[in-house]
Amino acid sequence: MTQLPDGRYVDDAPFDADAGLTTPERADLDAPNALLVWRKFRRHKLGLISGAFLLLCYLLLPVAGFFAPYAPNDRHPDHQYKAPESIRLFHEGSFIGPYIYSVEEVLDMETYTYKYIPDTDTPLPLKFFCLGDQWQVFGLIPSNRHLFCSPTEDPIFLWGSDQLGRDVFSRILYGAQLSLTVGLIGISVSFFFGIGLGSIAGYFGGRIDWVIQRVIEILRSLPELPLWLALSAAVPSNWGPVAVFFIISIILGILDWPGMARAVRAKFLSLREEEFVRAAEMMGAPSGRVIRRHLIPNFSSHLIASATLSIPAMILGETALSFLGLGLRAPAVSWGVMLNDAQNLASIEIYPWLAIPMIPIIVVVLAFNFFGDGLRDSLDPYES
Amino acid sequence: MSEHYRFSIRAASAAIAFALTAGTALAQVDLKPVPYWKADVEAGKLPPVAERVPSAPLIVDLEAKGRTIGTPGGTLKTMVTRDKDIRQMVVYGYARLVGYDEKYNLVPDILESVENIDDTKVTLKLRPGHKWSDGHPFTSEDFRYWWDDVANNEQLQPSGPPDFLKVGGELPSVTFPDETTVVFEWVGPNPDFLQSLAMASPTFIYRPAHFLKQYHEDYADADTLAAAIEDERSSSWAALHNKLDNMYKFDNPDLPTLQPWVNSTDGNKIRHQFVRNPYYHRVDSTGQQLPYIDTVEMEIVASGLVAAKSYAGETDLQGRGLSFSDIAVLKKGEKENGTYTTLLWPTGVASQLAIYPNLNVDDAGWQKVLRDVRVRRALSLGIDREGLNKALFFNLATPAAMSVLPESPMYQEKFREAYAAHDVAAANEMLDEAGLDKKGPDGIRLLPDGRPMELIIETAGERQEEENALQIITDNWKDIGVKLVMRPLDRDILRNRVFAGTTMASVWYGWDDGLPQPFTSPSYLAPRYQDFLAWPKWGQYYQTGGTAGEKPDLPEAIRLMDLASAWEKATTTEERSEIWTEMLAIHADQVYGIGTVNQAPQPIVVSDKLRNVPERAMWAWDPGAHFGVHRTDEFFFAAE
Repeated sequence: MTQLPDGRYVDDAPFDADAGLTTPERADLDAPNALLVWRKFRRHKLGLISGAFLLLCYLLLPVAGFFAPYAPNDRHPDHQYKAPESIRLFHEGSFIGPYIYSVEEVLDMETYTYKYIPDTDTPLPLKFFCLGDQWQVFGLIPSNRHLFCSPTEDPIFLWGSDQLGRDVFSRILYGAQLSLTVGLIGISVSFFFGIGLGSIAGYFGGRIDWVIQRVIEILRSLPELPLWLALSAAVPSNWGPVAVFFIISIILGILDWPGMARAVRAKFLSLREEEFVRAAEMMGAPSGRVIRRHLIPNFSSHLIASATLSIPAMILGETALSFLGLGLRAPAVSWGVMLNDAQNLASIEIYPWLAIPMIPIIVVVLAFNFFGDGLRDSLDPYES
Repeated sequence: MSEHYRFSIRAASAAIAFALTAGTALAQVDLKPVPYWKADVEAGKLPPVAERVPSAPLIVDLEAKGRTIGTPGGTLKTMVTRDKDIRQMVVYGYARLVGYDEKYNLVPDILESVENIDDTKVTLKLRPGHKWSDGHPFTSEDFRYWWDDVANNEQLQPSGPPDFLKVGGELPSVTFPDETTVVFEWVGPNPDFLQSLAMASPTFIYRPAHFLKQYHEDYADADTLAAAIEDERSSSWAALHNKLDNMYKFDNPDLPTLQPWVNSTDGNKIRHQFVRNPYYHRVDSTGQQLPYIDTVEMEIVASGLVAAKSYAGETDLQGRGLSFSDIAVLKKGEKENGTYTTLLWPTGVASQLAIYPNLNVDDAGWQKVLRDVRVRRALSLGIDREGLNKALFFNLATPAAMSVLPESPMYQEKFREAYAAHDVAAANEMLDEAGLDKKGPDGIRLLPDGRPMELIIETAGERQEEENALQIITDNWKDIGVKLVMRPLDRDILRNRVFAGTTMASVWYGWDDGLPQPFTSPSYLAPRYQDFLAWPKWGQYYQTGGTAGEKPDLPEAIRLMDLASAWEKATTTEERSEIWTEMLAIHADQVYGIGTVNQAPQPIVVSDKLRNVPERAMWAWDPGAHFGVHRTDEFFFAAE
């Protein structure tokens, strides 16, 4: 760039008559779809924060054992129904780092509750990166390292303990492993069936469509609760909780696909009449290729958004079933199982911390909804 | 706590006749009018009190019982959880021909006296002038009607008279010498007879004849009966008769009764009202007719709400529907509302929670293992009962193997302690000896056929207690190399699976009756009933007379069977006691049911205004009828 004596600026580059007027925006216009989506999504603050939060949650799942001071079914017989304790930083006015007090358990025979009398004279600083119960990274590599541990024999219960003296905080972290993934597995199954059968029905129509429609109607007409009762009784009782959990998520998915299939079919019915589909067919593309390369990408935005919006339904479904005693069961730990233990008057009146698992459920479900909202708004970047 | 409940044993003495006579030590009293019926008496709708109570009423000396004389009036609110539980009023009311007193002696109640000769000839003497709740006389005709026209009528009772009346399969001869006398006579002794009349859910051996005859083919006018059948849309007169004849179900307000309170609401309602029986046979020593309380209001609520509503002070007397885990909440409500007190009564079941290894399980490999007494003993030794007691019962229960409670005369400490200590080393040794010495890589023992020793215990999934206890036992049994897998099911599914032999082991309460007396039939200790979840098929074999199930084939079980029949032939208390003791010893030694803790307290919510409710008493179904033996008709509301 050169500045002329009269103060004007002139570009040094030689004039190119072939360059288009739109070149400066070309990069933008030719930007890959993902980039455009991302740009638009970035502006949806709530969705962005929720997305980041969920990403963090899922990243923490395999290493939940590191953050949880105890194994989920670790009982502490002398610390039943202990209220959440706070981690203090200042002792008698001076900063000594995070510490707790040791407590003594006393059974109050007046009220039939346990009282915990803290010894406020001696602060016990927390230990960090200490050795404790064994857990497994990704369920494979054993490790003993924990983020923090109690400095003494007395256990530390950030969010209190339940009747058997199990740490609610640790149980919530481990419970997340099941509660958060049940949705993903369920959604995968439901998508697999939903997209597969929905696109076949929509694209081919005719007899196949009729059969699939009737199957959907039958599935939809089944009363869900008795079905669940039957299924939960049919699972062999010596299966481990994880196997049961896996089956349950698959069943959840199998029951959930008809909605998706209907949406896909409707979309296909309209899309298959479009010119580009005719063009592909005339060029000799087989049906499979038409569906995969030309039709599905056309409404993938819809699919992704509906996926993120269905995951919370799956999480709530698991919670509801476990709450009713039909889904996961002890010794498996999920948020629903924990809430199932908390469904009595005592938990509300005297031990309210047993209902803490409600909070992560609400937060995660909301986060998924905001994230899904953000995605839906931004997935069609060409639309304003 | 046991010294409070030492029972005195009434000797059902042999050879000499003994007579039970009601406490009529007091001279005849002057009867006081009942305020509730004042208007009715004045209007001439009811006769005055002197004409209503029997000429020889049962006079209760409350002060001798350590109770206070009350004032009549008030409405008692209580809750039940199911529609059909309005029958609890027959249980709480506990007006029986003979009933237990608070020390578990059998005393005449409705009857004036009983004469018992060697348990073979029992003479029942009615109170002269006793009337049904509708004012019609209650006489031996009501017994005759039941015996001749109900129990022995093929259309009404196709199976004939109830089993407890049979001795060696033979029915008694029943005679009715006069209006107030009924005589039962058997070929041999029938020690079970009087106990059966005192049960929480007894077989009533009398019926309001004047009322039911209207619906009996032999007595009713054919046309009116046909019209009544048509009206009620019944299929036959027998169906109609049985539908109306519900002395225990208590759901027919028209059916006269002898209970202290009479059902006054028909049909399915949320709230049922029971009004005092104007013709009730008990009076206090001042001549006040019982019950003190005028009306009882029974509300049907969801089972989860009983504790919540009690907490809010919406009940005057509540035991049913409350469990140990509600104590903390109830105590909190007691403090906040100050309208009720939570009492803790010991329970009468033999074990709060017992594990029953199924000796009749279909799986041949498992059946062999579970039938090995060393395995059952080891499983019992592997349980940390102290820890369980602390974790679930605030140390208020007693760790114990499944046996009778200290209040029973047959109690022995060695039965309670049999294989009830937590001894992992001994348990491991026993399991090794039993041929389960191979272990898989996860430390779980292998069955002889190579499968891992995963014992699946099925539960009814109704009590959280069960789940938590099994969680603790799961951890305990890890130390002895046994993996416990818990499986919650529905109550009915569980029972059917056990009866079919599908279930490996199940969890239920211990014996209902943990307080047997020598004269209590020990048949529930013998393989006679499928309800004892350890031997469903042996029980079926006995119950069906050999057409279903399997014949008991372990020597100890056969011995139990022989002992149970020997008890029926025994004539003296000593003999019966001995038989009981031997049966209990077999159970203690063979560990058919693995008991955990017993005598866990049952919370009882009592309104602060309600008087005469015992501070501590036994909460037991049979014998006991829950509140029944504590005589709810003597409870009263203190004036404001």
